[in-house]
Amino acid sequence: QNVTVTGTVKSADGETLPGVSIFIKETRQTTISDGKGVFSISAPDQGTLVFSYIGFKTQEIQINKNAGPISVILQSSDNALDEVVVTALGISRQKKSLGYAVQELKGQDLAEAKESNLVNALAGKIAGVRVTNSQGSMGSSRVVIRGETSIAGNNQPLFVVDGIPVDNSQLNSAGARDYANAISDINPEDIESISVLKGPNAAALYGSRAAAGVILIKTKTGKSKKGLGIDINSNAVLETLLTLPVYQNAFGQGSEGKFSYVDGAGKGINDGVDESWGPKLDGRLIPQFFSKGVAVPFIAHPDNVRDFFQTGYSLNNGVSVADAGEKYDYRISYNNLKQVGIVPNSGQGKNSFVLNTSLKITPKLTLTANANYSKLNSDNLPGTGGSRSTSTMLQFTWFGRQVDINQLKNYLDENGKTFNWNNSYYSNPYWVAYENTVSQNRSRIIGSLALNYKIIDGLDFNFRSGTDYYNDRRKVRIAYGTNGTPFGSYTESAFTVSENNTDATLNFNKQLNDDFSLELLGGGNIRRQYIEQNDQSAPKLAIAGLYTLKNSRDPLISSNNLSRLKSYSIYASGQIGFRNYLFANITARNDWSSTLPAQNRSYFYPSFNGSFVATEAFDIKSETLNYLKIRGGWSKVGKDADPYRLINTYAFSAPFNANPQLTTSNIDLNPNLKPETTTSTELGVEAVFFNKRLRFDLSAYNTNSYNQILAADVSQSTGFSSKLLNAGKINNKGIEAQLGITPIKKQFTWDIDFNFAANRSRVIELDAEKLLTNYIVATNSAQVIATVGQPYGSLFGTAFLRDGNGNIIVNATGAPATNPTKQVLGKYTPDWIGGVYNTFTYKGISLGVLVDASIGGSIYNGTYATGTYTGVLASTLPGRAAEYGGISYYYPDNKKENGTVRVNGTAPTGVTVYDDGIVFDGVTADGKRNEKILPAQQYYKTFRNIDEANIFDASYVKLREVKLSYNLPAKWIRPLSLQGVSVSLVGRNLWIIHRNTVDIDPEVAFNTGNGQGLESLSNPSTRSYGINLNVKF
Amino acid sequence: CNKELDEVNINPNAPEIPQPDYLLTGTTKTTADTYWGGTNNMNSSLLFAQHWAKVQYTEEDRFIFSNSSFTSLWSTGYAQSIAGFNKIIELGDAQGNPNYRGVALVLRSWVFLLLTDAYGDIPYSQAGKIKQFVTPVYDKQKDVYYGILNDLKTAQAALDPASGKVISGDVIYSGNIALWKKFANSLRLRIALRIADKEPAKSKQVIDEILAEGGTYINSKSENAQLFYSDSPQQNPVAASFETRNDYRISKTIVDKLFALNDPRLPIYASKTDNATPQTYVGIPNGSTNSEASAIGLANSSRPGTYFLAPKAPAVIFSYAELLFDRAEAAARGFTTENAADLYKQAIRASFDQYSIGGSAVDDYINQASVQYDAGNYKKSIGEQKWIALFGQGLEAWAEQRRLDYPQLTASVNTVLSGKIPVRFIYPGTEQSLNGQNYKNAVSSQGADLLTTKLWFDAF
Repeated sequence: QNVTVTGTVKSADGETLPGVSIFIKETRQTTISDGKGVFSISAPDQGTLVFSYIGFKTQEIQINKNAGPISVILQSSDNALDEVVVTALGISRQKKSLGYAVQELKGQDLAEAKESNLVNALAGKIAGVRVTNSQGSMGSSRVVIRGETSIAGNNQPLFVVDGIPVDNSQLNSAGARDYANAISDINPEDIESISVLKGPNAAALYGSRAAAGVILIKTKTGKSKKGLGIDINSNAVLETLLTLPVYQNAFGQGSEGKFSYVDGAGKGINDGVDESWGPKLDGRLIPQFFSKGVAVPFIAHPDNVRDFFQTGYSLNNGVSVADAGEKYDYRISYNNLKQVGIVPNSGQGKNSFVLNTSLKITPKLTLTANANYSKLNSDNLPGTGGSRSTSTMLQFTWFGRQVDINQLKNYLDENGKTFNWNNSYYSNPYWVAYENTVSQNRSRIIGSLALNYKIIDGLDFNFRSGTDYYNDRRKVRIAYGTNGTPFGSYTESAFTVSENNTDATLNFNKQLNDDFSLELLGGGNIRRQYIEQNDQSAPKLAIAGLYTLKNSRDPLISSNNLSRLKSYSIYASGQIGFRNYLFANITARNDWSSTLPAQNRSYFYPSFNGSFVATEAFDIKSETLNYLKIRGGWSKVGKDADPYRLINTYAFSAPFNANPQLTTSNIDLNPNLKPETTTSTELGVEAVFFNKRLRFDLSAYNTNSYNQILAADVSQSTGFSSKLLNAGKINNKGIEAQLGITPIKKQFTWDIDFNFAANRSRVIELDAEKLLTNYIVATNSAQVIATVGQPYGSLFGTAFLRDGNGNIIVNATGAPATNPTKQVLGKYTPDWIGGVYNTFTYKGISLGVLVDASIGGSIYNGTYATGTYTGVLASTLPGRAAEYGGISYYYPDNKKENGTVRVNGTAPTGVTVYDDGIVFDGVTADGKRNEKILPAQQYYKTFRNIDEANIFDASYVKLREVKLSYNLPAKWIRPLSLQGVSVSLVGRNLWIIHRNTVDIDPEVAFNTGNGQGLESLSNPSTRSYGINLNVKF
Repeated sequence: CNKELDEVNINPNAPEIPQPDYLLTGTTKTTADTYWGGTNNMNSSLLFAQHWAKVQYTEEDRFIFSNSSFTSLWSTGYAQSIAGFNKIIELGDAQGNPNYRGVALVLRSWVFLLLTDAYGDIPYSQAGKIKQFVTPVYDKQKDVYYGILNDLKTAQAALDPASGKVISGDVIYSGNIALWKKFANSLRLRIALRIADKEPAKSKQVIDEILAEGGTYINSKSENAQLFYSDSPQQNPVAASFETRNDYRISKTIVDKLFALNDPRLPIYASKTDNATPQTYVGIPNGSTNSEASAIGLANSSRPGTYFLAPKAPAVIFSYAELLFDRAEAAARGFTTENAADLYKQAIRASFDQYSIGGSAVDDYINQASVQYDAGNYKKSIGEQKWIALFGQGLEAWAEQRRLDYPQLTASVNTVLSGKIPVRFIYPGTEQSLNGQNYKNAVSSQGADLLTTKLWFDAF
């Protein structure tokens, strides 16, 4: 005999819980709680109700017809046994049923330790996730999970926000700026949780883009409110320099010890030279750039670079309102970010509005609508890299160490001309910062509509269509009178990006009997991608100071590019569970992509995985071993090509004397492309010991990617620079471990979370014919290559010439000789990465400390290569004068062609004696010890063209995050009608505890591409510290 | 849905089938830019020939190079020029227009000539055929010269002014096929002389063939093979460089020579110094160190002449003056029965005329003892005067200086090749990694991949 049971579900802290799944054990009927946590179900008397909800322990309650409405309180889960996680396509699954590793990050961590680019927040916290941060807080960040699996393609994971795949491109255009990758548009405050699906095993259902893993972002939704339901968050952060090259302060601008300023462009003595090989900074009197021909003291300004930078800051203020009722829920939030960078006149602002809402139209039909609008505005982003007219550090690495930066702040002289320390190559750095600006303006909407229809209990139909659409415009101004660009220039770039995904799925869940449960899903997807780029440039301005395309002296240079892609997919997945301890999962997907030729267009890929919970199967109930699970699986995913990679085309360039111009393409395309394929095997163990004091999760994986689509460089004598191949095989294998320890668990709690990941990659083959041995990924003096038999990302370049014993051979002048054959000099990928997060909690106070490390790997240090050549770095001091260990020498008869001779005792009368001699530690071609003395300037200049001298170990250990938070006790705030107040002090990137490079932060990246490990006059990295205040009304 | 997906993947940005005239303009312009531009002309061969010198960043003038220094002639030459001209041949054939084939073959031969003159052994027979050869073998320099002589003969036969098949997009001769025939023959003569020290019989045979075909050569300055540049941004690469940089000056070697000969071309070749100087025209010694060059100073040394700095200045590929020097040399070597001394004088006149210098100055100049033709050492007479006449054409001037060994140039003490001047370009470093075995074979056949390894044609 059935009774109607009603009741309310709440969490331990009194919040009502909507959407809790309620299931009658005997009849297998189900329902869910409504927006106010209320449920009602017809059930047999004395039957059992099972309540389950993500993040909470599953609870069983026996029905008693006389008990009246019941109140159920669910305990939050810290137990792997009950944990429910979000998996591919947003499907919630019990973690114990999964045959692969999934790791989650809670939104609160992101909101407190705020990073303006949310990718940075992943650094050090999740095993196997490698984040390389860009320069400062406004640039790009790259994230790679489990190593690079694609030789030439994108290796960053797919980002999915509330079920909608979103764009994370770094769209580059003119102006030498490190534009932020697009996912940074998402405001961390709006994130409920981030779930990381590591690699194809977890992400196979996402198809083509799953090979590099998927990062699922779930945004906050409306919950039944307590109080007013208003949440205010305010955050202020200061940003200062973390690293700066170490400069010498003993010698100033010039060459061979001589300098005198007339016009800064060669009229004086070495005054066009932008290097610091000049006279000693001993206060001698020399005319300088500001002294109008008067000889003034030549002295060091040790902080001249540091003083150029300013303290940056960001202010982040947000408010949200949320509520939920029987038939609806909503959350509306607004957030404003204002950022000022460390480079003068740089900054950006961001406004974002998010609306998440759902409406139960009928008991069976629910409509969900989400909209996330963001607007990024910057008048000027910080200049990076090596462009004379726009970069920041280029000028400081080619610099006079005597320059007083304060003398340059007024960058115009009395005639209105730019005023600088050097006029042969550079414009005043403040002129560059204030006049040569690059603005960015991006408006973006990510929106979706979803319908859920319950056909019968256990069978749902879902339909969802979502679009990510944005416009990104950049305006690049080079001012009239800029050195090297005398007429200035003006460029506008505009991007339109749109990605639309429509999915329809059927879900079926049923407890078949006491032993078996079944979950099935089948569906289809249509994906459209559209990317358009328009560039217009006035290469020379007609008049100064007016930035419009019409103000052009020369014909405009324009180009545009349109890229379209469409794909159809069908997919299915199933899970069979046996007695809650043995699970088998299977997925299958078939894609049809427009980018592949018709005959290879359709590709199918399956995955299998399973898990076995030993503690449950053998009914182990021990205090020592609380939980033990073994899991494993195999998967295969395919990947299509970029659009238009099948048939060669010919590119237009501007007409020449009214003749249209076409030129041949550098790449030989391939009409027979096949999809790329990645297969991956993964095994893992999860265990919990000692009353949950010790938690352990270990994964091992082996991933093979083959049939890779890559534009292999070929000898240009073929008529092309590269050839598009379906070739290449790369293997990645690795282990990941997470270890949680709770040494103290009383009122004072201490948690330690370790994560560790080691990945080994090996390029097995580049093409089947074995004609190609190297694939060049990027070039900047040294190169990043994929070379057969080596790990992915080898650094390749010129090396010292050595004899059989490893001694460096010198040439006739006594300078080190270059090996005519380029060598593999390292790899940019680390040997292992890891982090340790310590959390100390006492009452409402918690302190979190994250230290992370990246060990092994190498970096080409472009700052060092240049700064050694130009003599600005402290590392160029040894040997530069007697007091720095320089050897005394002279030229017989004062003729340089006679070569250097060491002064032993006294030199012959009449010759000039120099004291900046250095003998390179090497051997001559005939094996004798080198004794030739080189003047210091010549000595240090030899290393710039020998890449080996500029490659350093990239290992680092960083104090990544320190976070102190305090939740004010309820008894203090309740009288004020507040629901919660928390204050946090947060520091990020506080300290590089250990590094083996000099002058740069080894973590610094310049873009999000595969060509990492090539540092090139990057802006200094920064540390930040700030305060976060959260008030709930 | 296949059809729909096929349509999505049709590239809307660029044509799959190019028009031959557009491709002819684009490829010719790209080739000229490389030939006349920074890496191959200003920053290398013009320095080796001591036409120009560097006044800032003088490393290249001191021959400090790496194997990435000389990549652009190779990459543009093969992947843009030869690939483009091959496609024009294909398109011309498809249209039944042999004149496209002829013109493209002439220009392609010129590019192969530039490549082999600079590097020596190069891919030729397997070059530009990616479907068959991903790693093309290097042909010996002799075989390359023989091959392009053959190609030019074919081109000469294909070019037919009477066929009525017009070509467009020709920015050198505006579609005048008769002039293309002359240019083809002129290139054959140039190559015949290039190999004359090694294969004189072949040289004579080529010249005889041209005569037997009834062929004619470039016959006036209006027939010069050259590309006139336009206004910015289509300006002459030299003009473009001087707009933003100030790295080059005229070489002291040629300034001294022009002063010594009282040569009226000096004010054309050199600009006056910015600061007033006693000499008015001051060259920078080749191979100066940065500090030596800056001690002379930017304002006290001469830029190249305004003729060469003008945006619309031409890139000269083959001048009438050069052609006359070639005929003089062919006569001097006994390949023809023409009057070498007379042709030598005509060549100097043609060079003066190229810069519109006429009148009595020309006769005064030619009649100087130091200029008069020396039949006993024709290499010296022709070498020196041809070197002056080729001013600005770095690659050709350098090739001829290496072959004729006149003028005798010396390297500065600050250079790094033990007193030698480069006699070839180093192969691009990418060849080692991308075409390694063939590269190794070429090096073992030709000699070490150094700047100082003499090429086959350079007999003395």
